Amino acid sequence: MIFALVIALSQAAASPDEPLKLWHAYRGGEEQALEKAVAEFTKQTGTKVNLLAVPYDAFSSKLTSAIPHEAGPDVFIFAHERLRQFHRMKVVAPSRLDQSAYIQSTVDALELDGEHYGYPLSLKCLALFYNTKLIANAPTTTAELTELAKSLTDPASGRYGIAYEAGDFYLHAPILAGFGGELFDPITGRAQLNTPGMAASLRWVKSLQDRQYMPQEVSGALVKSLFNEGRAAMIISGPWFAGEIDPSIEWAIAPLPRVSENHDTPMAPFLGVEAAFVSSMSKHADQAQALARFLSVGEATLARVSLGRQIPAELAAYRSEVVSSDRLIASFRAVAELAKPTPNTLEMARVWEPMKLALRGVLQGGTPPEDAGALAERRYKALNRERPEDANPAPFIVGAVFLALAGLVGFVLRQRTQAQGRAFKQRYPDTARGLTWVAPAAIGVLILIIIPFAVGISLSLFHHEAGNYSFVGFANFTDILLSRGYAITEPLSFYFTLVVTLMWTLINVALHVIIGLFLAILLKNPLLRLRGVYRVILIVPWAVPNYITALMWRGMFHRQFGAMNALLTLFGIEPISWFTRFSTSFAANVITNTWMGFPFMMVVCLGALQSIPEDLYEAAEVDGASKWVQFRRITLPLLKPALLPAIILGLVWTFNMFNIIYLVSGGEPGGATDILVSEAYRWAFQRNEQYGFAAAYSVLIFFVLLAWSQVTKRISAEAGVE
Amino acid sequence: MPGPGRFDNLPQRAITIDRRSQRLEIKGAPVSDVKLVGIRKSFGETAVVRGVDLHVQAGEFVVFVGPSGCGKTTLLRLVAGLEAVDSGDIVLGGKRVNDTPPRDRDIGMVFQSYALYPHMSVRQNMAFGLELRKMPKPEIETRVQEAAKLLELGALLERKPKELSGGQRQRVAMGRVIVRRPQIFLFDEPLSNLDTALRVQMRGELARLHRQLGVTMIYVTHDQVEAMTLANRVAVFDKGVLQQIGKPLELYHRPDNTFVATFLGSPSMNLLEVTRDGQAIRAPGLTLQAPGDLTERGVLKLGLRPQDLKIAASGPISGEVEAIERLGFDGFAFLKTAAGPVTARFDGASGDVEVGQSVKVALNGDVSHFFTLDGARALRHPSKPTPE
Repeated sequence: MIFALVIALSQAAASPDEPLKLWHAYRGGEEQALEKAVAEFTKQTGTKVNLLAVPYDAFSSKLTSAIPHEAGPDVFIFAHERLRQFHRMKVVAPSRLDQSAYIQSTVDALELDGEHYGYPLSLKCLALFYNTKLIANAPTTTAELTELAKSLTDPASGRYGIAYEAGDFYLHAPILAGFGGELFDPITGRAQLNTPGMAASLRWVKSLQDRQYMPQEVSGALVKSLFNEGRAAMIISGPWFAGEIDPSIEWAIAPLPRVSENHDTPMAPFLGVEAAFVSSMSKHADQAQALARFLSVGEATLARVSLGRQIPAELAAYRSEVVSSDRLIASFRAVAELAKPTPNTLEMARVWEPMKLALRGVLQGGTPPEDAGALAERRYKALNRERPEDANPAPFIVGAVFLALAGLVGFVLRQRTQAQGRAFKQRYPDTARGLTWVAPAAIGVLILIIIPFAVGISLSLFHHEAGNYSFVGFANFTDILLSRGYAITEPLSFYFTLVVTLMWTLINVALHVIIGLFLAILLKNPLLRLRGVYRVILIVPWAVPNYITALMWRGMFHRQFGAMNALLTLFGIEPISWFTRFSTSFAANVITNTWMGFPFMMVVCLGALQSIPEDLYEAAEVDGASKWVQFRRITLPLLKPALLPAIILGLVWTFNMFNIIYLVSGGEPGGATDILVSEAYRWAFQRNEQYGFAAAYSVLIFFVLLAWSQVTKRISAEAGVE
Repeated sequence: MPGPGRFDNLPQRAITIDRRSQRLEIKGAPVSDVKLVGIRKSFGETAVVRGVDLHVQAGEFVVFVGPSGCGKTTLLRLVAGLEAVDSGDIVLGGKRVNDTPPRDRDIGMVFQSYALYPHMSVRQNMAFGLELRKMPKPEIETRVQEAAKLLELGALLERKPKELSGGQRQRVAMGRVIVRRPQIFLFDEPLSNLDTALRVQMRGELARLHRQLGVTMIYVTHDQVEAMTLANRVAVFDKGVLQQIGKPLELYHRPDNTFVATFLGSPSMNLLEVTRDGQAIRAPGLTLQAPGDLTERGVLKLGLRPQDLKIAASGPISGEVEAIERLGFDGFAFLKTAAGPVTARFDGASGDVEVGQSVKVALNGDVSHFFTLDGARALRHPSKPTPE
């Protein structure tokens, strides 16, 4: 039936009166603006258009899978960052663009190898927002900016000249450009991170923070609250920030300042462009081009401005009444002209993590600005492994086949020995029915466990780069195990991470058991009042979803505004910058995970304690045992049968406790507090999609846990625990 | 004087038994006596022990007996120090120990559940208390071997409690106390978890142990047979009050009140409400000659042990048989009489006894006990059997 439907649809699509299909991910005012523009298009041309709003998360994959099967839209709206990928997958058609009609930078964003794709609709980039009550005229140079910041800063009352998410490379990129730091080598196109411009830009940012013109560890939420409370005179953010400003604040927008230290070079922010792309598979190419173009100019643009409050790419729009009366949008033109399209290359994706490392290092004081470039460069090289040499898959295939055969033969032989001469039919008289009963579970196990496991293991033998897999044999494993590209003592090394993971696991579980046992003993005391209430309260950390716990604690460890430092200050201790040093960052993770983990051990201990007969303690008392001896010689040994399995489980859970590491320290500083699983995750999803390398990590984790399970088996057997 | 439990302070004692008199000769360290003075104990609103005065002589075997909830176990735990008294004094060997922890009271206790340490072997269970007192290893070994020999546990020393039978566990619990050689042994219903045959055997072993060790023993039970067979003296408790203490037969023959009278002896003593009228004792369907030594008049309680009554062709009591408990040649018949229910013995000489039959009951001579009407005081006991 579905097949018939597909045929019917494709036949319908072929007919000339069939409406055009337009896919987008807009909501609210932006969607209204689009509907209005499309209605106008239909009125003017008589061509009907079907709109489909696709959830943003699924949009890209839906496009790349639907269009090649001729099931996609004629026109779709997307950001330009994906253009290169769309082009590679051959889902976009070149456009007939009148370049002079749009802001030049937005046209540049849509160019690929001399050809233009899509029609620019709107843009997003960073600008300087300032509080007009505090600042009459926006600073045009960094010299003016620092001067202004100096006069407006009063750390004692929590007032700052400027605030922005300085640790985020997206916000640092314009500053880097202003200080002359070319991010990519113009000839090779490779990222170059260790440049004089890099050092200069970092030095400047550091000086803002050192002179306290800018707070430390700034997050998006902090920027918002500082600006809305009038405690930050200037902030750097994008057009989306306009919606978050408190109505009581009077504000304006200006381009980012020019860099006085570097011949008044402008700070060029990254530019994101939303464009209407025409599908390469559209059956009505002319009409589709017309629709896409229609959406990017004239009334459609004005509708987007008035209803969707988007910054238009079309130049003519800025001369209209609608735009010139809108302060936010009008002022963005000047900002946008300085902006440079975010590179849509693979190299761009590779600089985020090294730059984050450099920025954090400088801002948190661990790395001098002069050395940060080298640090980032080193990390860049380590993360962007050269593709290992291709290996011959034949021996692996032979090996796999051999293993499979050996397993099969082993199985059959075992069946034989168990059969003891009886025929198979005799042993299993009703095989058909038996298999039917086993089948649902067997299929489930096959799909959910065996296949993913096999895929994971196979994947570890491949190298992945930009959608291409190449078979490299054990190269991933040898690179990991030989710690190729970095010293064993560096956080990227497998051994470093393994040691951290083991430390993490042992310390956590030890704390869980000690605290859990201590509280269980307290709670067992029948004389304790409100015992039930305490019991419930103490189980709460366990009941809270652990990512919420993690985010809560992450906030509490904030350098300036966190509860932990407030507490330390109360006792006259210097506030700690928790995530700048390994020891404190690790401690922060451990504290969080301990808070979350002790209730489980407490519940286990409580149950076990209550099963120890009271008269054992009385007998021991008569025997002459003090409370401590009773605990050591009676309680502990009798807890062992219950506690041992819990500890073994706890060790495995903690070993793979991804959430806490990822959300609390995020591996800071420089990935030093990452454990094996979070490291594997980063290789797969944050470092250039090195799926094979990440899979090899996972296989190694599997072997570590396999070894551990053998050890626990023995321990349990010796302790007599089933 | 029991010191704070170091090895040097443990009493070194040798016990010999005089074969002729069966009396204990305790040589070496003196044995403690137990003196309880005005002991009271409540749990919340519930008064469990309500003023007990009691003196257990050194080397004596005293059994606390009474129905469930009479306070006998609590009293034992007070002696052990597992509970604290509300008021009154506990004096062990002349020393007031109200505030002394159990480990320094020089007592040993066998629990109803045995309370063996499940994770330790028999040997470790027995050695535990000695290790805690920092006794040298060879000495511990000697004592464990001694106790094991005494209790026939030699082959079981390396076993865990769960690998032992009930009787074996019971002996280990005993051994754990014996190795420490305390001056006072406390037993909390130690045989109640054993089957009948084993109980009889263990009773014998306990009596032997007492003779061999010559220590003071206090033994709590609700089983009057254990009380009667084991004790030098029996203390009967009811509702937190000591009803009577004395030698087993003395209690049987000369109970101080109707509670003791009915609690000891099986089947229970018959109690009938009677009126003394001149030289006659009357009740509906019953007339007896009043004993010469009974001075009280008016309404009284008459107590007659079933063993002293016999179904015969004629007698002063008549009634109808309601139920029969046949024990072989003889047995007991439960009768309905005008004065109340009466239990009487019968044997072959009594002829055939059947349910529903009307019978007469005869008294075996001077067998009548008299109590006040409320049962609180004995007025007269038969003079014939004189307890030594």
